[in-house]
Amino acid sequence: MPRVAYEDASLTVWQGADALQFIDGLSSNKMVDMIQGEVRQTVFTTTKAKIVDLATVFHMGDFLAVQLHTSQLERLLKHVTPRILDQKVTIVDVTSRNQFCIEYGIHNTNVGQFESLDGVTHGHVDERYSLLIASLDVETKPTVDQALFHEWRIENQIPWNGFEVTGKNHPLSAGLNQLVHPAKGCYIGQEILARMISRGRQGKKLTRVENNSVDEKFITTQGQSHSLAIIR
Amino acid sequence: MFMDCGTCETSGPVQLMTPEVVNVNLTISSKAQEMLVDAFGDDRSMALLVGVLSGGCSGYMYDLQIVEETDQSCQEVVIEGFRVLVPNASSHLLDGIEIDYVDRLMGGGFRINNPNAESSCGCGESFA
Repeated sequence: MPRVAYEDASLTVWQGADALQFIDGLSSNKMVDMIQGEVRQTVFTTTKAKIVDLATVFHMGDFLAVQLHTSQLERLLKHVTPRILDQKVTIVDVTSRNQFCIEYGIHNTNVGQFESLDGVTHGHVDERYSLLIASLDVETKPTVDQALFHEWRIENQIPWNGFEVTGKNHPLSAGLNQLVHPAKGCYIGQEILARMISRGRQGKKLTRVENNSVDEKFITTQGQSHSLAIIR
Repeated sequence: MFMDCGTCETSGPVQLMTPEVVNVNLTISSKAQEMLVDAFGDDRSMALLVGVLSGGCSGYMYDLQIVEETDQSCQEVVIEGFRVLVPNASSHLLDGIEIDYVDRLMGGGFRINNPNAESSCGCGESFA
């Protein structure tokens, strides 16, 4: 299976009795029912429902390992840490101890679970790809370059951090609809997203387009013959 | 598990933004005081804990509880004989509030009028 380096990934450890509830209250997917051994993605959003960061949460039992993005980490921490108040939550950044890859072009039958194979943690976050995390002493050589991976993403309409998943977009326009839980309680940005869904007015959405068929300003990932764009 | 979570060795937590503790001033409207009399009866040993939790549509949610004691570090304000506890961790968000009571069939109940809130969600339970 092709593997590509996930260079912008970061890893944080969230500990404390309130950690899962805390993440649930600040992000778009339902997280409070997670159990040990599960992996689930969620989106931290602003009051205007714009993306702060996409998080992949591994429930490790006593703590949560939360994969975030180095480019967004400072912004995310500024967003969440003032809200900890008296709650039992501590966050530790362990990015420098780990390496990250994406294994793609697969058919995951156990989406939502993670497992350890040959010293590497495989988080099966999607039917079509897994997030791989390993300590630095384990060999996880990428087998393909970024360009091939992004061509595959375009083909499969998979949004990615820094391309579609940015602070300019909300989760629905970025193609992260499956991470916006329709029935969970309130979270920051929920009123706006719920209104978009209930009124069927999502605005722009992620679309695979032929090159030169839409204005370049809408292109989010440029491919050789097709691209990803966020358009109405 | 084979990711290195740093839980076996000492890893320092990320720098948290810890707001300054402020001395809270608050008021209770006459309608809210009437409702507190109903709730407390003659027992003034209980206290009204006015806290803030993260979450809600706007980022923070009010948390009102009637308690005897709490393990949170709090400051106590006594108004008309009512003990009001405000956690120090959220004192910066609650200074100057008025605790009010809105008497209506839908959406009624205790309500916080907060001069620190830039915005509030429709139900009034959440603020930013």
